[in-house]
Amino acid sequence: MKRTIEEKLLNPKPGSKAAAAREFGIDLTLLVENLRLTPDQRVRNLQQAMYGIEELLKSSKRKKAKNDTTRTNT
Amino acid sequence: MIQLEPILKSLTAVEVEFVIIGGVAITAHGSAYLTQDLDFCYSRTNGNLEKIVTALSEFSPRFRGFPDNLPFVFDISTLRNGTNFTFRTNIGDVDLLGEVAGVGNYKDVFENSECKELFGFQVRVLTIEGLIRAKRAAGRTKDLLVLPELEALFEVLNDEED
Repeated sequence: MKRTIEEKLLNPKPGSKAAAAREFGIDLTLLVENLRLTPDQRVRNLQQAMYGIEELLKSSKRKKAKNDTTRTNT
Repeated sequence: MIQLEPILKSLTAVEVEFVIIGGVAITAHGSAYLTQDLDFCYSRTNGNLEKIVTALSEFSPRFRGFPDNLPFVFDISTLRNGTNFTFRTNIGDVDLLGEVAGVGNYKDVFENSECKELFGFQVRVLTIEGLIRAKRAAGRTKDLLVLPELEALFEVLNDEED
């Protein structure tokens, strides 16, 4: 019986590229989740992740600036 | 971080001939890869260069890494004087490639692309096979790191496992 894409990723055959990717450290369950989405949804998720990282970086910069000011004033 | 929707809206509004390559293309195919910019391959016809200038000017592109106080004009002459560009815009970083190592010029890239709907716009995206060739040819560590994932995707989506 032919295996589905998800089966191929979740239980890769030895010697397959999917098996090699898993051995390399790729989390194939993330691919399974992504393949359930449309390309549009995947790229929108990417955009949200970008905004999240940007916010994190801004927050980190703000915190550092605040710490620097506190140090200068003490 | 690039804001994808406004730039895709602008590029498609004036019908720029372009193919999305790089991280956004990789994500569109299902990879969990994270990127910060938009890379696209573009046709170098004069008409298309004019369209690119029209589409991107509103985002004030400048060469990435150049001092802010250096004068810079983004026009068709700028694009004629080079092939591959890395720009910083007020909505994020954009790389324009006239040629893609491992794939070729715009015509070759277009032939290795497929249509996808992103943010409601119909755009061309380099195929997984094309991305694998491009990443192999680029050969940098960050390119090679994504290869196992792309190869796995290509294998399962093209039924090449058995």
